[in-house]
Amino acid sequence: MNTGWQSRLTSSLFVLPYLISFAAFLLFPIGYGFYISLHEFELLSDSHPFVGFAHYAEIFSPGTYLNSLFVRGLWATVQFVLYSVPLLIAIGLALALLVNALPRKIRSWFRTVYFIPYAVSASVMAVIWLMMYDTNAGLINSMLGKLGIDPIPWLTSEPWVWVALVSTTLWWTIGFNMIIFINALNQVPEDYYEAASIDGAGSWRKFASVTLPSIRPVMLFVMITSTIASFNIYAQPFLLTRGGPGDTSKVLLMNVLDQAFIRKEIGAASAMAILMAVMIMIVSVVQYRLTYGRKEE
Amino acid sequence: MSSRKLRTLVLIAIAAAVAVVFVLPLVWMLSTSLKNDFEALSGKMNFIPKKPILDNYIDGIKGELMNVPIMRWITNSLSVGAVGTAIVLFIDSLAAYALARLRDLPLRRTLLSMFIASLMIPGVLTFLPMYMEFNAFGLINTYPALVLPYTAGAFGVFLLLQFFSSFPKEIEEAARIDGANKWQVYWKILMPASVSIMVTLGIFTFMGIYNDFVWPLYATTSPEMRTITGGIAMMAQGSYVQAYGKLMAMTTIATIPMLLIFLVGQRSFVKAITQSAVK
Repeated sequence: MNTGWQSRLTSSLFVLPYLISFAAFLLFPIGYGFYISLHEFELLSDSHPFVGFAHYAEIFSPGTYLNSLFVRGLWATVQFVLYSVPLLIAIGLALALLVNALPRKIRSWFRTVYFIPYAVSASVMAVIWLMMYDTNAGLINSMLGKLGIDPIPWLTSEPWVWVALVSTTLWWTIGFNMIIFINALNQVPEDYYEAASIDGAGSWRKFASVTLPSIRPVMLFVMITSTIASFNIYAQPFLLTRGGPGDTSKVLLMNVLDQAFIRKEIGAASAMAILMAVMIMIVSVVQYRLTYGRKEE
Repeated sequence: MSSRKLRTLVLIAIAAAVAVVFVLPLVWMLSTSLKNDFEALSGKMNFIPKKPILDNYIDGIKGELMNVPIMRWITNSLSVGAVGTAIVLFIDSLAAYALARLRDLPLRRTLLSMFIASLMIPGVLTFLPMYMEFNAFGLINTYPALVLPYTAGAFGVFLLLQFFSSFPKEIEEAARIDGANKWQVYWKILMPASVSIMVTLGIFTFMGIYNDFVWPLYATTSPEMRTITGGIAMMAQGSYVQAYGKLMAMTTIATIPMLLIFLVGQRSFVKAITQSAVK
């Protein structure tokens, strides 16, 4: 028999490899990022003078460069979140209901087809849609042309740029939400529906009074993950619009990374990144609270 | 009876129309990859190329397509994905085993809540400092930079933890009485029983690494170190932006390995996703 401390030691050894990785690539970067944000940290310079909360102060002072960079990026990001999240939830749920209403034999086939774009990487997704949206040679404008509609400059004019970015995102990621909704729908107990039928409920009533309340926790999960994903949007505007037209779709994460890697000011960029992360976490907590209210307490 | 059949037919028609929307861009990608750049830019809707060519693929495999080493990029992505996945499976299962089964693990509750809390941390918080960390060790543009950051995520630990916790205690106890030590219980009893969940986590992790885009874009600087996602992004930004025939051949090559893994492992993958939502 092992003595107590030996057993505790061998138990610890099992956690150790992951703990090292966790500490090195998660815990340490969080602390180090905060440290960097308190310094004038230029990528190519060796001296990093301490500036305290100066970067944060600048971000919050209207009229400064960092403030306009942050606020304008945030506005673009927020617009994308507002346009995309409701559709990511509604269409994800609609697709799940559609798939579930199909005859059993062909269900999984359609599920797979709707989910396929998810297997494509961000850059492949972007290159495909770059071609689809091409004003002169793109497939979409060619098809619209057949209907007698003039070519639309999808990626270079408002509001089309938002339509394009949101549609692309839906195509690429909606399968994920659909899968989660399908799973949730399948777990609603069958007798709930039977009870509703006996009460004379039609399909719309059943949806509103049985389905929706039953999948509420999953709805919340999808809402939070979709909001976080949309808040982190980067690949679509980076590759499709390069932030254009003008700075319309220059989202917050693009501004953070430009500040770090083009202007080489890692200190200021870190302060922006930290504020962005804090906002994401606040939004998730608020959504959680709004949905669950005070019932949990 | 007949109204029911009609309803089903209408639903199938809708589902099929939606399916076209999802598949069309991928079919168009494949079709364009078989065209020369002139036809690709013609703006005509010919899904079947007038004069199908394989030149874009042949050039791609020879490394002559736009003078970039696509096959090297694919190899990079596959190797980085494989090594990263192996590490994740190994260290996550060890940690999950200890957290789920070894009751005398010191600070067990603290570790657990720390790992849970980490699931809430947005990636943007660690991105820049991680870059600076690798930069300080001179590891930017090396394989460790492309692998290590993915090993810190706590998702796998939790997926396995849930599974290990539900594993019957009796089997484990019987083995301990027979004199098996903790490692033997982990390696000879728990692991063989966990193949399916490990495959699930493996596919999930591999896809995540193979398809990741922002980190490899910044963590590599020289053409031969690029992953396929980072490489394509560079091409799409560069002067080849309208060489659609060539670009589409490249994206098709890039997508094939992932698509195969996705289609074969779809069930496992779906399981990992739904597991993540159950909590």
